Amino acid sequence: MVSAKFTDQTPELSHDRDEIGSLVEAVDLCHDLAEKLGAEGFTLLFAAAQGDARRLVPLFDETFPGISSLTRALTGPDTANFGRQVSTTTCPMWWRAKGAASFLDASARVWSIEAVPPVTGSSIIIFPVSSDGRRNGAIVFAGNDMSIDEDTLCEAHAACFEIFAQVAQLRKQDGNTQRPMSKRELECLRLTANGLTSDEIATALGLSVHTANQYLTNSTQKLNAVNRIHAVAKALRCGMIA
Amino acid sequence: MTYAATLVESRTATAPVTSRTGLARFMRRICSEIGAQRYMLVQPSVERGPKSVSIITSNWIFDALEDLGSEGIARILESGIAAGAGMRSRALLAAGASFLTTEDRRALRDHGHIETHCRRLVADGTTVYALFSSETSGEIDGDALSRIHMKCCYALVQFFAATGGRASADPLSERERECLMWVSEGKTTDEVALILGVSSNTVNSYIAHAIQKFGASNRAMAIATAIRSGII
Repeated sequence: MVSAKFTDQTPELSHDRDEIGSLVEAVDLCHDLAEKLGAEGFTLLFAAAQGDARRLVPLFDETFPGISSLTRALTGPDTANFGRQVSTTTCPMWWRAKGAASFLDASARVWSIEAVPPVTGSSIIIFPVSSDGRRNGAIVFAGNDMSIDEDTLCEAHAACFEIFAQVAQLRKQDGNTQRPMSKRELECLRLTANGLTSDEIATALGLSVHTANQYLTNSTQKLNAVNRIHAVAKALRCGMIA
Repeated sequence: MTYAATLVESRTATAPVTSRTGLARFMRRICSEIGAQRYMLVQPSVERGPKSVSIITSNWIFDALEDLGSEGIARILESGIAAGAGMRSRALLAAGASFLTTEDRRALRDHGHIETHCRRLVADGTTVYALFSSETSGEIDGDALSRIHMKCCYALVQFFAATGGRASADPLSERERECLMWVSEGKTTDEVALILGVSSNTVNSYIAHAIQKFGASNRAMAIATAIRSGII
């Protein structure tokens, strides 16, 4: 009995350790990136959907596990507009503090836009990111001694996507964390998304209609969705089907 | 500076992309940067229904386009092989791509698309796919490919802003979009009616319009199309 209890616990413990480990790794990657850009601080933000509105939620910054003043400024109560802007924009956004030097060279400025973020103490560059799960967010770098050219801008932005995908994986609350989806269930979901009815799916996959429906019911439950359409939407949004 | 030198200068300097010609010039420069010969920027076409695509710009020869056809291109886009930002991409033919038909493979190979990479670009919520091909295997630089990924996204944002191309990518009215968004969150017609403060008949009619505009066969497909094209 004792050994059974131990084996029950071990996976959970190692999972937690992995999770914290990966988060620390992501923080380290951000530190490296900040150094490359000449930034003093950074913060990683998630856009949380509230109906049609977006609010930015911090995950970590350079003071991890603390919260920096930059993070506080960008996620304060009056930041809904900024949240919306971040989650609908692709290009990097910059803001220059009063008296600070311009930190983007001419070619980098071609690709980026000037933003009006909530007031922060130093110049910032905002890299809007999203993960395959269509979760939006941003990684923001701050400092008055940053220096960024075109190549650095593009490379840093791609790196931000990589880091964000990694942490989004950890925060995946929908679906995946519970029972894994079977190949057949995913196939049925994919065909539903392509507009096929249960009858047509059954024919396409050589199943009975009853079986096709069963696969769809299972996947709906596994995704914690209320109906089929909801399941399709969830699966698409978290990248289980393309 | 001589006239020729000025020309070279203006061709290599980074400039905003404001026209289709500008976009084509930008893509040619990207191709030479990564070691590719052919490029295509293409979108699944929500207005024209399933398996149809609309090409924004490309330097593919006509025969290659005709042999692969919009169905073949749609198969590549729908397969999920496209790499997003910050991801490494696998070459199409090398990846043992089971979604391609024998004819698709032949069309690609016959027209010199030996190594083809597909990248999924997102420009302010609009998804565009970029195909890059080289005539010889191993010629496309993987590092360069992930480096230029974001630059292509930026160029598309500028292109759409300058040409108003994004408007046609989102054919829905604000109300129709709202209805689809709530349906995708699992709400029933009655619940959506309550949320938006309209009758359920109105909600059904909004959704029916959206289905029609997408050329979708049912609600599930309309929702999927809207999510895939970044409308909701």
